[in-house]
Amino acid sequence: MTSYDTAATVIDRAPPRRNYEAADIHFIASRAMTYLLALTACTVVGFPLFWMVICSFKPATELYMSPPTFLPQQWTLQNYRDLFLQTRFPTYFLNSLIVAFGATLLSLLVGGLGAYSLSRFRFFGISGFSTVTLFCYMLPEVLIVIPLYIYVVQFGLADTLFSLIVANTAFTLPLALWFMRSYFNAIPVTLEESAMIDGCTRLQAMWKVTVPLAVPGLVSVSVFSFNHAWNEFLFALVFTSSERNKVLPLGLATWIGQDNIYSWGMLLASAVLVTLPVLVFYLAVQKRLVVGMTEGASKGE
Amino acid sequence: MAETHTVQPGDRAIAYLTLTPSAAVLLLLVAVPTITVIGISLQDVGFGEMSGPWIGLENFAWALTSRTFWTALKNTFVWVFGSVSLEMMLGLGLALLLNRTFALRGVARAIILAPYLIPTVVAVLVWRYMFHDIVGILNYMLMSVGLISKPMVWLASTSTAMLSVIIVGVWKFFPFVVIALLGILQSIPQEQYEAAEIDGASAFQQFWRITLPHILPVFLLTALLRTIWTFHKFEIIYLLTGGGPLDSTTTLPILVYIKGFADFELGRAAAIALITFFILVVLLAVYFGFMKRAEARQ
Repeated sequence: MTSYDTAATVIDRAPPRRNYEAADIHFIASRAMTYLLALTACTVVGFPLFWMVICSFKPATELYMSPPTFLPQQWTLQNYRDLFLQTRFPTYFLNSLIVAFGATLLSLLVGGLGAYSLSRFRFFGISGFSTVTLFCYMLPEVLIVIPLYIYVVQFGLADTLFSLIVANTAFTLPLALWFMRSYFNAIPVTLEESAMIDGCTRLQAMWKVTVPLAVPGLVSVSVFSFNHAWNEFLFALVFTSSERNKVLPLGLATWIGQDNIYSWGMLLASAVLVTLPVLVFYLAVQKRLVVGMTEGASKGE
Repeated sequence: MAETHTVQPGDRAIAYLTLTPSAAVLLLLVAVPTITVIGISLQDVGFGEMSGPWIGLENFAWALTSRTFWTALKNTFVWVFGSVSLEMMLGLGLALLLNRTFALRGVARAIILAPYLIPTVVAVLVWRYMFHDIVGILNYMLMSVGLISKPMVWLASTSTAMLSVIIVGVWKFFPFVVIALLGILQSIPQEQYEAAEIDGASAFQQFWRITLPHILPVFLLTALLRTIWTFHKFEIIYLLTGGGPLDSTTTLPILVYIKGFADFELGRAAAIALITFFILVVLLAVYFGFMKRAEARQ
């Protein structure tokens, strides 16, 4: 960690000062300011999520109360129970898992292989392909949703989870290619080369040396792909319609605005449950996530 | 650039073979659809049809002369400019804050990052509940401190809908800016600040002369990236307002969806989608140009 508090630096490193008291006051004021700002920021940014969790445990009477109660006067699991017993929530959840895992697996297999080539070779067209990949990643969904919808209808794939897996790959694959390429770039070529001097073929060296080292990269790319597919809404909205094949974002979206049937309590409880898998994954790859998320912006290579 | 192998026999075959599946998938899912969408934009596709007679550029002419399109274009710029400028300001402020050392900084960082990680539909649900005119906490809070005298209908009024959508968008996406800037802030050599301190530079001078020049390239790149992404955001607006009330939050992506899948006029939808894409290509060209320059400097 290279960051220091500037005020603290004054105390630690600056040449001795005469006026210790002034320095102390400056130091304390600066510290207090930091904590005050941090507290305010966390309160404002964190409040909606806090409110979501708290309210999902409130009984219906309290949810529709004006003025609202802050903490639940009576904690209840009723909203969660209703969600599982009265709605198709479990079906949506399962469908989302199938689509997200499907798209992730597909882009990892195809993209992992391709990214190796993008990272290691400089034959004709390869660096051009890298640029195209990044370009695909930034393509607007609304542009390709129209033709993909036509294909889906013509191939009889309308209202299937399979169509969603394939369509999601259009975005998770460029992501996998681009990120995996930078992970492979970070693994020294010399490791493979010494394996080859010891008698490995190129493919053996790749499989036995590079791939194991790239596992952390593979894990974080999986998390990104999964997250993308888990969130994806437009393709689901256009391609699927039946209750049986709805994924979570689409299922919940159709409940919004029907608060006579689906109470806010149920909606908030479902919001909490949709967030859980994302949270679990985040905790698993916390460190790498920050690196990966900024990869596009700072392009660390 | 990363180091590459010394070329060996068979490498060329391996390079192209491992790339083939990716190339095939991208061709089928991105390139072919892009050509198809150009084709559709040149056809008069009737309600619920998949194709129709060729009509040249008529769909584009229709778009460029329709009021709906220009309203959507204007809304898109308000949405992009409003969101990105607020995200950048907030992101910079909080990155500077999180760059200082204080107890529980890890916790603060996790809380500030959280909105970026939650699914969009979750963000929308929570905010719709908070925005609710009768049971929403927002109206209650604003009324109890006296900022408003009667409950506001945030999402259902033409004057506040865009503002509300921007608030939710900024809350959801500004953490990306925080992370991007935090990375670069932590790479500034600490000695520069120490030297400035000895020379008697004020905190503001230090920010202006050391911090800002150092982070500027990444700051601009992040702003550009956020502009591109915000430009074609669909679901957050669609789920909050559906583009309403009365077109007041209909951006170009929303208009494409409405034309294509509510009015079922695929030809016109394709034309608008392509115009959207052209604007985006200009932004992307700037982005790639910028990145090339940044790369050359390294």
